[in-house]
Amino acid sequence: MRIAVLVKQVPASDKVKMDEETGTMVRSALDAELNPLDLYAVEEAIRIKEKTNGAEITVVSMGPPRAVDAIKEAIAMGCDSGVLLSDKVFGGADTWATARTLSAALEKLGTFDLIFSGERATDGETGQVGPSVAAQLDMPALTYVSKIRQIGDGKIVVERAIEGGHEVVESSLPALLSVVKEINEPRMPNLTGKIRARKTEVLTMTAADVGLDSSTTGLTGSPTRVVKVFYPSMSRNGTIVDGRDPDDAVQKLLQFLNEKALV
Amino acid sequence: MEYNKVTAETIEELRRIFGERNVLTEVEKIEPYSHDESGTQFKHMPEVVVKAENEDQIAQLMKLANREHIPVTPRGAGSGLAASAVPLHGGIVLAMEKMNRILEIDEVNMVAVCEPAVVTNDLCRAVADKGLFYAGYPMSVEESYIASNVVTNAGGSKVVKYGSTRSHVLGLECISPTGEKLVLGGKRRKETSGYSLLQLMIGSEGTLGIVTKVIVNLMPAPGVTVDLLVPFANFDDAVKASSNIIRTTKVYPVTMEFMDGFSVRETTEYFNLPSLPAQDKAEAYLLFTFEGKNQEELDELAEKAGTACLDMGALDVFVASTKTESEKVWKVRTSMPDCVTTKYRHMLAGDVVVPRSEVAEFIAKTQDVMKKYTGLKLTFFGHIGDGNIHPNFLDTLGEYTDEEWLKVAEQAYGEVCMLGSQLGGTVSGEHGIGLGKKTVLRQTLGEYPISLMKGIKKVFDPNSILNPDKIFDLEQ
Ligand SMILES: Cc1cc2nc3c(=O)[nH]c(=O)nc-3n(C[C@H](O)[C@H](O)[C@H](O)COP(=O)(O)OP(=O)(O)OC[C@H]3O[C@@H](n4cnc5c(N)ncnc54)[C@H](O)[C@@H]3O)c2cc1C
Ligand SMILES: Cc1cc2nc3c(=O)[nH]c(=O)nc-3n(C[C@H](O)[C@H](O)[C@H](O)COP(=O)(O)OP(=O)(O)OC[C@H]3O[C@@H](n4cnc5c(N)ncnc54)[C@H](O)[C@@H]3O)c2cc1C
Repeated sequence: MRIAVLVKQVPASDKVKMDEETGTMVRSALDAELNPLDLYAVEEAIRIKEKTNGAEITVVSMGPPRAVDAIKEAIAMGCDSGVLLSDKVFGGADTWATARTLSAALEKLGTFDLIFSGERATDGETGQVGPSVAAQLDMPALTYVSKIRQIGDGKIVVERAIEGGHEVVESSLPALLSVVKEINEPRMPNLTGKIRARKTEVLTMTAADVGLDSSTTGLTGSPTRVVKVFYPSMSRNGTIVDGRDPDDAVQKLLQFLNEKALV
Repeated sequence: MEYNKVTAETIEELRRIFGERNVLTEVEKIEPYSHDESGTQFKHMPEVVVKAENEDQIAQLMKLANREHIPVTPRGAGSGLAASAVPLHGGIVLAMEKMNRILEIDEVNMVAVCEPAVVTNDLCRAVADKGLFYAGYPMSVEESYIASNVVTNAGGSKVVKYGSTRSHVLGLECISPTGEKLVLGGKRRKETSGYSLLQLMIGSEGTLGIVTKVIVNLMPAPGVTVDLLVPFANFDDAVKASSNIIRTTKVYPVTMEFMDGFSVRETTEYFNLPSLPAQDKAEAYLLFTFEGKNQEELDELAEKAGTACLDMGALDVFVASTKTESEKVWKVRTSMPDCVTTKYRHMLAGDVVVPRSEVAEFIAKTQDVMKKYTGLKLTFFGHIGDGNIHPNFLDTLGEYTDEEWLKVAEQAYGEVCMLGSQLGGTVSGEHGIGLGKKTVLRQTLGEYPISLMKGIKKVFDPNSILNPDKIFDLEQ
C-alpha cells in the first residue's frame, strides 16, 4: 500500500499561542514547525503502516527550502521518504494553486492508495487544500475523519465528525482523508527516528519537475487574491446589575436568565 | 509574640494612606490572603489587607505598624510552598499585586527594572521581544512575582546552567521594617563595598524588608533548544543516570528534571492531559533541555546525551524539537505541583537539596525511612540536575486529621532532612523555610547560626513587626 501525507510548515506563532492558549514561555527558538494539525495525519498514516505489510509513506510539502524541517519531523515519527516542492514560481499560491501543484506532484510520484491531509493549517486556516487535491485528482474526499474503522480490499470505512454526532462512510480507494484531532494522539519522535530522518535525503521538485509552468502555479496561477486581512471585531453587550440591593439584584438576574431560557 | 489588634482607628488611618478601595476588611475578601499553596493546615486570617500602589505608602504603613505594634506580612501572588506569606499573628497583610509594571528594559546595561509584582513570565516575554533573556524560571513562572522570587531565592528548572534567582539580581530598592528607604546594589555589575545587604535581602522571605523595585540581569537570548524526554523502567536507573550523565558525556544541560511514574500518571489523569510516551511502563523520567548555537550543535548534544541514557538503561529517548511537542511535555511537568496541592487535602512539599553525586543514595535511604510511616506516600519530582529533588509527602488515603498530619508529616520530613543534611545537603533548596520547616532548620543548622540570624533580624526590625516568626521563632 502506498500512502502520501500532505504537510505544511507553519509559523510556530509564539505570540498568539502564548497569549491565547498556553501562556507559556518561548521554549524553542525555532520559529516554524510542522502544522500541529498535520501531526494527526502523520500519526494515522504510521498506524496504518504498522498494521499493513509492505506499506510505505511519502511525505509531501510545498514550501520554501527550510520546510524540509517539517518533512524531516514527519520522517522522524516514522514516515519513509519525503518530497519538497520548492520553486520561486510557487510563491504566493492560493489554495487552488497549492492544490494544483500538490496534485501534479502526486501524479508524478505514481499512484497512492491513500492520501492524508490535516484538517486545516493553523496559519491559512481555510481547510480547502485537502479536498481540493482530491477534486483535482478526481478521487473521493473523506473530510473530518475521526476514526478509520476498516481498510482493505480496495475500500475504506471511516467515521466523520459532524455536528451532533458521527457519520459512517464507506468509500473506494484511492481516497483522500482529512483527519481531525480526535482521531489519535500523535507520537513524539524518538532519537532513533531523529537520526534516521537526519540521514534521509529529501527529494526536491521544481515546477518543471512536476510538469507545471508559472502560469498555473504561485501567484500568477491563483484565481483568487487576498485583498485584505483583518480580525473580526468582537463586542459584548454586557449588562451590569447593581448589587447594592441584593434582593433586587437576584430578581434582575433571575429575570434575565429566564428571558434567555437558561434556567 | 504578643501584638495589638487592628482597631477601627487604625483602619481609618490605613484608608487615608492607601485609599478606600485598597483596604479590605470583609471576611470573604481577605480570606484568600490567609494561606498560600502550602496547604490549609497553615491557614491564618489577617485582620486587614492593604494593597500598596507606591513605596511612600509602604513607608507610612511600617511607621504606623511600629507605633501601634501590629504585625505586617508582605504578600506576592501567594504561590509560595512554605507558608511564608501567611499572616501567622493576624494583623496587616501588605499585598503587592498593584505594583506590577516593568519600568525599564535597559539594553545598554542589559538589565530590567521592575516593580515587585511583575509576573516572572511577563518579564521573560517582554525581554524576549527584544532578543534578550531572563534566566529565572520557577515552575510557577506564570503566576509568581519577581520580588517574591527574589526574597525566596527561587530556583526552578534552569538552575543547573544559570543558577538561582540570586544569580540574576543586581539591585533592589526596599522599605525597611521601620519604614526607612534602602537602596541596595544597582545597575552596576560589581561591588565590594562593605557587607552585602543586597545578598542578605535575597532569600530573606519578607522578614528583613519590603522590596519595592528589582533590577535583574539580562542575557542575549540563547540560540536553539531541544527537550529530551527519557523514560526508565527502573526508578534507580533514572536516578543514577542523572548523577552520571554530565560526568560521562561532558554535555551540560540547561535543565535536568526528574518525575516519578506515580506523579506523571496522577498529573495526566487529574488534569486530563495526553499521556507521556511509555507512561504505562516507566517508573521514572528524566527531562532535559539543551541549548545550542545552531541545529547541528544541538543535534550533536542530543545524540550524545540520548545515547548515554540508552546505555544507562533508558527505555527510549523521545525528542521534542517543536513548540507543540515541547509544550506537551512541559505541561505535565509544570502541572505537577498543582496536582498534589489541589488533589490532596494534606501534603507536604519537601525541598531537600543534596550534591548531585548524593542524589541516588539520598533517595534510596529515604525509602528506608518511609517504611515506618505506612499511611504516608512519598513521591518525587523536581530539579534533579541541581540535586533539588522534591520529596512530596501525601496523605493519599485521607486518614489524618489536620493536627495529626502536621505532626506526622513534620516528623517524617525531619528524618528525611537529617538524611539530606548528613549527605551534605540542606532542608530547603528554593521554597524557603516559612512556617513548616523551622524545626528541621534548627535541627540541621544548630543553635549558633540561628542565633546570628535572630541577631540580624533584631537589627533590621527591633520591634519584630515584619513577618515575625518565619524562618525561626523569635522567642526560643
Ligand atoms: C502569510 C500568508 C500569505 C498568503 N498570501 C496569499 C495570497 O497573496 N494570495 C492567496 O490567494 N492566498 C494567500 N495565502 C493563503 C494560501 O493560499 C494558503 O496558505 C495555502 O494555499 C494553504 O491553504 P491553507 O493554509 O488554508 O491550508 P488548509 O487548506 O487549511 O490546509 C489543509 C491541509 O492541506 C495540506 N496543505 C496545505 N498547504 C500545504 C502545502 N503547502 N504543502 C503540503 N500540504 C499542504 C495540509 O495537510 C493541511 O493540513 C497566504 C497565506 C499566508 C499564511
Ligand atoms: C505550581 C508551583 C510550582 C512552583 N515551582 C517552583 C519552582 O520551580 N522553584 C521555586 O523556587 N519555587 C517554586 N514554587 C514556589 C513559589 O512559586 C515561589 O516560592 C515563588 O517565589 C513565590 O512567589 P509568590 O509571588 O507567589 O510569593 P508569595 O507566596 O506571595 O510570597 C512568598 C514570600 O515572599 C514574601 N514577599 C512577597 N512580596 C514581597 C516583597 N515585595 N517584599 C518582601 N517580601 C515579599 C512573602 O512575605 C513571602 O515570604 C512553586 C509553586 C507552585 C504553586
